[in-house]
Amino acid sequence: MSDDVADFVVVGSGAAGATAALVLAEAGREVVVLEEGPEVRDEDRGLGPSEAFLRLFRDQGTQVAMGRSVIPILQGRCLGGTTVVNGAIVWRLPEDAYDRAFGAIGAARAVPLAEIHARMDRIERDLSVAPAPDELLGGNGALMKRAIERLGWKGHAIRRNVVGCRGSGRCLEACPTRRKRSMEQTYLPRAARLGADVRAGHEVRTIDTSAGRAVSVSGVRHDGAPFRVAARRGVVLAASAVQSPCILRRSGLGPRAHVGAHFRLHPGTAVAGVYDEPVRIWEGATQSFEVDEFRPRGFKIEVVGLPVELAGVRLPGVGEGFQRSVAEFPHMAVWGVQVRAEAEGTVAPQGGRARIAYTPTRGDMETFREGVKRLAEMHFAAGARRVFPGVHGGPEVLSSPDELPKLDDLPLDPRDWSLISSHLFSSCRMSADERTGVAGFDGAVHGVRGLWVLDASALPNNLGVNPQHTIMALAMLLSERIAG
Amino acid sequence: MGLAPHAQRRIAVVLADVLGEPREVALEVARFLDGYLRRVPFQAAIGLRLVIWAVTWLPVLFVGVPLPVDRLSREMRLRLVDRWSHAHLYFLREGFYLLKAIALMGWGADARVRDRLGIGPLAAERP
Repeated sequence: MSDDVADFVVVGSGAAGATAALVLAEAGREVVVLEEGPEVRDEDRGLGPSEAFLRLFRDQGTQVAMGRSVIPILQGRCLGGTTVVNGAIVWRLPEDAYDRAFGAIGAARAVPLAEIHARMDRIERDLSVAPAPDELLGGNGALMKRAIERLGWKGHAIRRNVVGCRGSGRCLEACPTRRKRSMEQTYLPRAARLGADVRAGHEVRTIDTSAGRAVSVSGVRHDGAPFRVAARRGVVLAASAVQSPCILRRSGLGPRAHVGAHFRLHPGTAVAGVYDEPVRIWEGATQSFEVDEFRPRGFKIEVVGLPVELAGVRLPGVGEGFQRSVAEFPHMAVWGVQVRAEAEGTVAPQGGRARIAYTPTRGDMETFREGVKRLAEMHFAAGARRVFPGVHGGPEVLSSPDELPKLDDLPLDPRDWSLISSHLFSSCRMSADERTGVAGFDGAVHGVRGLWVLDASALPNNLGVNPQHTIMALAMLLSERIAG
Repeated sequence: MGLAPHAQRRIAVVLADVLGEPREVALEVARFLDGYLRRVPFQAAIGLRLVIWAVTWLPVLFVGVPLPVDRLSREMRLRLVDRWSHAHLYFLREGFYLLKAIALMGWGADARVRDRLGIGPLAAERP
């Protein structure tokens, strides 16, 4: 077994882990970053959805949350984590979301919004964040823009972390031209230039303690060999809202009642509309435009440039009926609604995988019902001839805005819906003390010295906006304090 | 865990009905399923394999005819697929959508399908 040592061991190389590694390395600390997944080579990029799932996603894209229904949970599992396979959306934490998350637990003094925003300023410079220009909206985004102009709703081009994006519509397959400023393109190589030792193919299974202090991590390399890395100053856990609680549970660390509890999501679903004009959804930025008119009501609407393999799943019809539906794909726009769900689930290790339990509440499903109706309304406003709501028990197709009231009766049973999520939160949430959460406002795990949780699992609540930016800013702020 | 050639031939009959594609495309999709099953975690593979087994051998549950799916008439198979996709029981219905979702990844990888839809090659061109 290899056994080496660094000042800090960072577990995970996604938005939080890469940011923490860079900050610690900039402070002159000796850092080892351990990533379970593989490096992302040129030959792994832009291969289509099936190869992306099989090569770059956790459990080859088969991870699900089980509850009243089955909800796919998508996470990157590669160097750079989910930043490699997300839509490159960068959302500054709005004040209302901050208040719900940090203000509600009394963390306003420890984690001030101004401090978060100051880190966001740096991140936006580092990652070249800018709104998607008109030429990258694609037909999908241009139609959404037309819809909100006609309806008078609030919306805007999505702010993205890209440089010289060519609009290949392949963000979810790892950018084939490396234009997305994801972590394996930015913070990880920068940390490595400062001396950080970044290792792919290293799955951390447990954190080892001595006299109440985290002193090392142990795990298994991709070739099956065990390893241990010792930490002189401490361990930064940034393995995601699914894996971080699993590692803590396996290690017997943290307040047991809260590790893996309070797991929150932004579940989402999509609605397709068919237009007379060509849409060519595969051209332009994968996600180029969004509507935040309804954020105060708990949902947000985005363009979702799904490939035909994924968009086709809930299209109506079998056989010739399916062929008729899918033949319209070049004229189809697909938009999604993400819900700031109030439901809480749990995460726990089970064998080599995570067991995720989650069921949306009735209130969440009512929000979905409103969201799908708004999506359909937008499609008709933009000129759609037909809309496919995609909910079992509801109308398969709407042919006119006069039919929108039919959506008021959509079922509220999650088993009738096709939900999916990639925004995961709060499974090791921050709290003032160990009675209500896992980590303090500094990210330090209650009851263990030298162990911090800095990823989305530490966020006190789901945000209602895309989380990568907040995850990075929080990791940056707290890492600066850890570095001393 | 994969799909033996005879299992691929049987499920291809159903896939042709579900996707509305000719037999040769459906056979390619069945081959994709074989490769997929060999690459995903066991817990995921067992679920999909169970769905494939059930639709191959238990059409009786949907159409009341005790024959394997490849020995049913086309009319009977279409009735099976329609009833399966609209099943009231959630796990039966989701079994259909699980198979459809995975099959579509193989279907969308087929150059003939992509040409017909005009959506360009599966893999991005290298810069």
